[in-house]
Amino acid sequence: MLNAGKAVKVSIYLSEGSTHHGVSTYSSILDFLFYRGVSGATVLKGVAGFGADHHMHTSSTVDLSDHLPIKIEFVETRERVEELLGKLEDLAGSGMIEIQETTVAKPAQRSKAKALAPMAHRKIEGKARMMRIYIGEADRWRDKPLYQALVEAMRANDIAGVTVYKGILGYGAHRRVHRDKPLHLSHDASMMLAAVDTEEKLREFLPIVEQMVEEGLVVLSNVEIIKYSHRPIEVDLGDNSTKSGEVMA
Amino acid sequence: MKEQFQARMLRVHFGESDKWHGKPLHEAIVAKCQELRIAGVIVYRGIEGYGASAHIHHAGHWGFSRDAPIMLSIIDREEQIARLMPHLDEMVDEGLIAMSDVEAIRFFRPEEVRSKA
Repeated sequence: MLNAGKAVKVSIYLSEGSTHHGVSTYSSILDFLFYRGVSGATVLKGVAGFGADHHMHTSSTVDLSDHLPIKIEFVETRERVEELLGKLEDLAGSGMIEIQETTVAKPAQRSKAKALAPMAHRKIEGKARMMRIYIGEADRWRDKPLYQALVEAMRANDIAGVTVYKGILGYGAHRRVHRDKPLHLSHDASMMLAAVDTEEKLREFLPIVEQMVEEGLVVLSNVEIIKYSHRPIEVDLGDNSTKSGEVMA
Repeated sequence: MKEQFQARMLRVHFGESDKWHGKPLHEAIVAKCQELRIAGVIVYRGIEGYGASAHIHHAGHWGFSRDAPIMLSIIDREEQIARLMPHLDEMVDEGLIAMSDVEAIRFFRPEEVRSKA
């Protein structure tokens, strides 16, 4: 929660066409800020500008430019900004980040803040954990399906990979039977999300799951990672290619 | 609200055409689990696979083939799983059952506690 008083304003300058893992950089950054509980952020689109490469980008040239300047702004406390900065630098790529002292005269109403420890990019090998989340297909979080919101939240929090499975029959906490019949218009199948990452990363993510999942089951088990590889970032493909061998107890 | 406990996860693999007393085996197992008040079950249909009989199961393009690989995932506390095992032994005559120890966290709305009591 941002209170009136001293704070810092962060401005991130990007090019509209820049991407991060195949998604436009500004939306990756916005998702990251959103799921990290930042009080608010705004994306602004410039009509003309130039950057480090000293190349003028304008919207008036004949060739439709997809390199117009984009600016993301948010105001947070200094501590929060410092926590987020490492990851932001990574996400912003070649873009510029500016930090400015500011004073909040009147804070906006309603916000939720969950402080989380920063994390670094890493390679995972050997012992890891698998987190399975069981929810219903009809469960929603804010304005979207819960399974989709969870995938976005995991992506924003750098969880190595996640896959969503849809069950054809099942029941859970409510003993309400979820059934997915062909040609049946009901969409309330049992859904399972399986994510693999290190123990610390998943533990760190649990409070977010707790906040988003009202009803459901989360199961953690030990797995051993045999192979975790993805193409170089320039190729810009999703990094969800986790392969793991499971250790049966 | 949440509740944390040690649990066991069973994964039962067989084919979609397998039957138990004329009923699809996966439906029969889900019904048995409900009868024994097992915490939760999900049935998944695979798109391709093979198992004990080395016979390739394939779901077919339009989902018309009724012999896709089926996997049931069952989660509950150890003693509940132990109650279920003899029934599974009897019902699944061709297939594979894998078991693992897991840590479970259940999220529920507070009113559920009252209705349970």
